[in-house]
Amino acid sequence: MTSVSGITDPQFEDPRLLPAAMSLRDVSVAFHGRVAVRDVTFDVPANRVTALIGPSGSGKTTLLRSLNRLHDLTKGASVSGTILLGDTDIYQGGIPTTVLRSRIGMVFQRPNPFPTMTIYENAVAGLRFNGVKKKSVLDAAAESALTSADLWDSVKQRLNAHAATLSGGEQQRLCIARALAVEPEVLLMDEPTSALDPISTKRIEELMVELKKRVTIVIVTHNMQQAARVSDLTAFLLMGEDRAGEQIEVSPTLKLFSAPEDQRTLDYIQGRFG
Amino acid sequence: MTVTIKDAEIREHLRERSVATLRRRTYISGVMTALCWLAITFAAVPLVAVIYQLLRRGIPVIVKSGFFTTLPQQPTIFDANNTGGVSNALVGSLAVIVYAALFAVPIGVLMGVYLAESTSKFASLLRIITATMVGAPSILMGLFAFEVVVQQMHVGFSIIAGSFGLAVLVLPVLATATEIAIRNVPSTYREAGLALGAKPSTTSLKIVLPAASTGIVSGIILALSRAVGETAPILLVIGGAYAIAWHPNQAASALPFQMFQDVQSNYPSLQNETWGIALVLVGAVFIISFAARLWAARKKKVQR
Amino acid sequence: MTSNTSTDLRQAAEGHRPSAASRGVYEYVVLSAAGLFAIISLYFVGSIVWQALPAIRHQGLYLLTGTSWVSGGATPALSKFGGLSMITGTIETSLIAIVIAVVVGTGTSLAINLLLPSWMRTIAATTVELLAAIPSVVYGVWGMLVLAPLVISTVGPFLNSLPGGNAVFGTVVAGQSLLLAGFVLAIMVLPTYVAISREVIGAVPHELIEASLSLGATRWQTIWKTILPTGRVGLLGAGALALGRALGETVAVVLVIGQVNQLNFRPLQPGVTLASWIASQWGEAIGSDQMNALFALGALLMAASLGVSFISTRLVSRQRSLVNR
Repeated sequence: MTSVSGITDPQFEDPRLLPAAMSLRDVSVAFHGRVAVRDVTFDVPANRVTALIGPSGSGKTTLLRSLNRLHDLTKGASVSGTILLGDTDIYQGGIPTTVLRSRIGMVFQRPNPFPTMTIYENAVAGLRFNGVKKKSVLDAAAESALTSADLWDSVKQRLNAHAATLSGGEQQRLCIARALAVEPEVLLMDEPTSALDPISTKRIEELMVELKKRVTIVIVTHNMQQAARVSDLTAFLLMGEDRAGEQIEVSPTLKLFSAPEDQRTLDYIQGRFG
Repeated sequence: MTVTIKDAEIREHLRERSVATLRRRTYISGVMTALCWLAITFAAVPLVAVIYQLLRRGIPVIVKSGFFTTLPQQPTIFDANNTGGVSNALVGSLAVIVYAALFAVPIGVLMGVYLAESTSKFASLLRIITATMVGAPSILMGLFAFEVVVQQMHVGFSIIAGSFGLAVLVLPVLATATEIAIRNVPSTYREAGLALGAKPSTTSLKIVLPAASTGIVSGIILALSRAVGETAPILLVIGGAYAIAWHPNQAASALPFQMFQDVQSNYPSLQNETWGIALVLVGAVFIISFAARLWAARKKKVQR
Repeated sequence: MTSNTSTDLRQAAEGHRPSAASRGVYEYVVLSAAGLFAIISLYFVGSIVWQALPAIRHQGLYLLTGTSWVSGGATPALSKFGGLSMITGTIETSLIAIVIAVVVGTGTSLAINLLLPSWMRTIAATTVELLAAIPSVVYGVWGMLVLAPLVISTVGPFLNSLPGGNAVFGTVVAGQSLLLAGFVLAIMVLPTYVAISREVIGAVPHELIEASLSLGATRWQTIWKTILPTGRVGLLGAGALALGRALGETVAVVLVIGQVNQLNFRPLQPGVTLASWIASQWGEAIGSDQMNALFALGALLMAASLGVSFISTRLVSRQRSLVNR
């Protein structure tokens, strides 16, 4: 293991040296020609948590949504550069968006279980979308995903209750289960705890560390402590002079929060702006 | 639930199904999306078709000399094209709508103010009644007008009976439009008025109503312009006279009424004349509603 | 005004909360307008029912189950007023109309909300609104003079040429038919349906659409499994509202349905509806017991449409509160 300046922990591994689940090369996102994120380049290490941090307006969420082509829905949005999932170019590689999105799951800011579906139906919704009909597989996947999302024990008696009957934290974990059930390689999380209370937040943070075994996670968070707690690699974005988000520093989390390379990163983590 | 299937098996089955069904899913989605496009096209076709017919068949009718200024004539076998004009129907329509407005506008607007400002039980009951009355069939307004004006008030078949039917028809529409216009006034206006020490009634009259006036006036214009084209409420009570009449107690004709009569006649010339009346009606409604919208939009801009 | 404005203002505002004591002329004027409308509405229902009573007393259930409509003239005891053909005709035309309007209208609303670029949305919405601004008699004239000949020349023969076409659709005789009436009604109620369904579909939270897509759903799967189920209550309300309109439409139907008092169930056959029968029989009915029978048909129509209208407003407001939760 190569040493990283400023880190003395012998257990430390540099996530940048691990195999990449996704690679971003010169990724820019523009809306109606106005650039919102410019030239982002880094690798997302497989089976690790990568955090995107930065003040509001720095384009964290915009960047995250380009990773599963959600910008395709927005009229006037354009993504340039290259984004690889494994070896596949997700924009030019000819992979259908439906397939892509079943390989890259997403969890949103506010819990958004399907309100007309039961807990069980929510958990297996993605499988059904993908053509799975076998009851035994659906049942097994529901249990597996709900267990992974730390929800199985509390809902196994009421799988046919509506999702709206769950608390906010439980709803968000249901959304995580829903995304996990499709067995994605990467899970994108867009400020997943911003609408939750501290206890629910803590549970989801613990869950993320647990989930690393199963899936690669990219999380956007406005909460630096959260990034420090859960992530292995942190990318810091900042709004440039033309109001487009730029990548300032991508470092192992331990290093970014202890000995950042860039003065602007230091200013940000010390709370001087944002 | 007992789990005997391992995660790896789920994953394998899922990937397999996902790939196996991908083509079909994409295909169905494409077909259904195309059907949505077809639906919106289909929805637009009648409008285009009707307007095309109105222009093609209506313009030759309305440019005929005397169309607006002469009384209708009954075609005969000697002169099958002798249809005359629509002067009586034009005057009748104007008279009917003016009297209807005199009755409906004040009550509708005041009632709308009440609905917007009151939180009482009666107001919420009235809101339900209003919403329900908006959906009441217009032919029933004709029956109602007959019972009240023609029979009970002994007025007979008359303009005012038609006006009454139309008034009852537009009342709930006017009230709803007024209510919405007032609710769209920012609550800060009212609070500011009250904070300056004005009485609630003064605040309503001097601040809220003027601020909502654009919305109320355009609502009135839209409702009345549509009411001009209504046939059913006046059909049963207006009497259908072949002379110019504008006095409330006189029987009269009206543009939609005459259309309805003419199109059912056996003379192609009379049937054809209905296109001219239709063009006048639709043209008037379109121009008036377009102008009202434009005016409201401009007013809004100026106020900002 | 002094520097101490904000507290002054608050006190002033609190001092003038509307209360029973502060009710002035203004409040009474407004209240009496509202009261007047309530009275008119009650009187509206009351007078139609009142005029219907003699017919209900004499004809009884025959009003609902009978098929002949004969006036006894000077001897009312011979009068037979059966409304079954009108009832079935109303149901048939409304059903045809509602099926077409819901299918086309839902597709239109989906296209407006999800497929059209934003600058075209306003244009499309205005276009649909313009459809609503065209008077119903104009649709009637168009249906009678333009569409009815088309039914005779093209649509009817085509439907009859299908296997079993005569048995299912009936043999085309005149263009005016239940099918044409249903079709014209569909066009007329489409704007009503689209206005509400567009709002309902537009109000489905974008997060749900994104959630669905990010699970690998296709656009149609998202529409079918997420958008439409989320909006189903409101869409039902929109359909009910359109149904209410279709039930009571009069003059357009008179011109395109054929006005034949027959119990017909095949779409290409002519028929009659409650409202169209009232309009067409009115001239000869005034002053006789037939008039009361027409009022009875009116009362039936009123019960149906007010009921449907009441249900639809409830459904639409329930959808609004569901989404804005």
